Amino acid sequence: MNAIEIRNLSKSFRGMYAVDHLNMTVPQGAIYGFIGENGSGKSTTEKLICGHLVPDGGDIKLFGRDYTDPGVRVRVGALIENAGCFPGSSVYQNLMMQCINLGIENADEEIRRVLEIVRMDDNANLKFKSCSLGMKQRIGIAMALLGDPALLILDEPINGLDTDGMRIMREILVDITKKYGCTVLISSHILGELEKIATHYGIIRQGKMIMELTASEMDSRAQVFTSLKCMDMQGAKAALCKQYTDVREEEGYIRIYDVDDTASIVDYLMKNDHVVSEIRKNKIGLEEYYIELMSKKEAE
Amino acid sequence: MNKTHEIKFESPTFARRIKGMLGVDFYRLFHTPLFYIFLVIAAIIPAMVSAMTMMPDQNGNQITLYSNVWQIIAASKSLNVIEGIADYANMNMVFIFGGIMVSIFIGHDYKSGYVKQLFTTHAKKQDYMISKSLVCAFAMACMCITYFIGGTVAGLLVGYETDVNIGSLIIAILGKIIMSLGWASLYTFLNVIFRRYFGISVASSFFFGTGILIIGAAAIVEGLGLPTSFLNIFLYGASVNANLSSGIGSLLVCIVVSVAWAVIYNVAGTKLLNNCDVY
Repeated sequence: MNAIEIRNLSKSFRGMYAVDHLNMTVPQGAIYGFIGENGSGKSTTEKLICGHLVPDGGDIKLFGRDYTDPGVRVRVGALIENAGCFPGSSVYQNLMMQCINLGIENADEEIRRVLEIVRMDDNANLKFKSCSLGMKQRIGIAMALLGDPALLILDEPINGLDTDGMRIMREILVDITKKYGCTVLISSHILGELEKIATHYGIIRQGKMIMELTASEMDSRAQVFTSLKCMDMQGAKAALCKQYTDVREEEGYIRIYDVDDTASIVDYLMKNDHVVSEIRKNKIGLEEYYIELMSKKEAE
Repeated sequence: MNKTHEIKFESPTFARRIKGMLGVDFYRLFHTPLFYIFLVIAAIIPAMVSAMTMMPDQNGNQITLYSNVWQIIAASKSLNVIEGIADYANMNMVFIFGGIMVSIFIGHDYKSGYVKQLFTTHAKKQDYMISKSLVCAFAMACMCITYFIGGTVAGLLVGYETDVNIGSLIIAILGKIIMSLGWASLYTFLNVIFRRYFGISVASSFFFGTGILIIGAAAIVEGLGLPTSFLNIFLYGASVNANLSSGIGSLLVCIVVSVAWAVIYNVAGTKLLNNCDVY
């Protein structure tokens, strides 16, 4: 079963489409990386799924049910833009309110559980307004985790976090999908981080879904290249151009694209009397793939 | 990829949903200073109004706003539109402060972003309207009680007469407490309309709370040759009509008018939330 299935979803503001006949499929148990530029419609789509915005048209199904079904919505946790907590109340009070809202019995135990997951067990009595940005984001995740959610919708949860904060957030997300079987829809600009956890990707541009693919499909599409340095860079490049189709000089390196066998490159250069001083094998990551895809779309 | 877990979905009943929403709102009401501040304001205002009557005017005469302690609570005779400031400077003032309190209470939902949590987990918008209306009505009813205490103590200290028909006094107080539901629903509705504009929410609540619109309604009623008691179908009319000479009929009018307007405003607010973006 798919956790989210969207067909022809549209939403406009003052006649401009923010989401334009969007189709989206998020399989159950996936960590779905939702990628797009600023204003591409990511947050609007997430708000539509959460029922915060009224769609102009289209169909949203969550676990095979209409998204307005109270039974399914009570199992959705969301962190959209901010944690949605009262600044003057403590972390504990904010979480308690959400427990009451969801009708959770043993609220104390549940609050302890989620605070432990987000590594904030010692900060329950802290006022929300005195928490750091990273802590606020984690409290937002804790709020979303209350009541055993089947689906988590996280809008830019790693924005503004430092390296350590990002690592903790990454571990939390992987943990909750593994332990609780939760499906996660996560939008982020920090593609390098997303790449480490996502099992599926959806790329949105100008309100339209331009591509959906799994992490393994992304891997197979990602270009492999070898970077090297030689004593005689020009001579080596000229020699390599005779043997390989895509040879470029970039960032002080000679790069040979779409050749997996590094040994054969070294062998070829040695036969042509070129000494290799540095060599490494690279792979184009999600970020480079995304930039390339966007520039292709721009050109169309 | 992780293995797929079998997930079961149980639709929460209306009672369970509303219990959750009411629980949150009551928790917030009792755990934030706003409610207590307004309870104190409701107690202080009648004392301040009573103290004002102790001061002489520019000719050296003492202002005679009230002659009886209980006029601080309600007008002495049946009214449909106020005739003097004293007719309004009674427990009806709670409906003005109450409006401001409701605006701040609901405004914080939007300002903090907590409303997103509520609407993510509550697909039915009626839950929100009902819960806010009931909790704010409770808060305004509590304000009526502290107003009663503050007004009575101040009136006794000033030395006003205490003669009153106890039955009518109780009816007047109960009538105004019951009217809190209608007023709270009106303010909830106004705050849903102006949810993105906190200042306008507060101003509109104040504007409607003063009952200015009843003047227009009174003119229409007079123009149509209808009896002035017709004004009792409005929140303001029924609130003013609960007075120190009221009988059980006035109380029934308060119940019917308050509940009817509460239903109207809740239905309208739900419809609005269902058809508009919630923030």
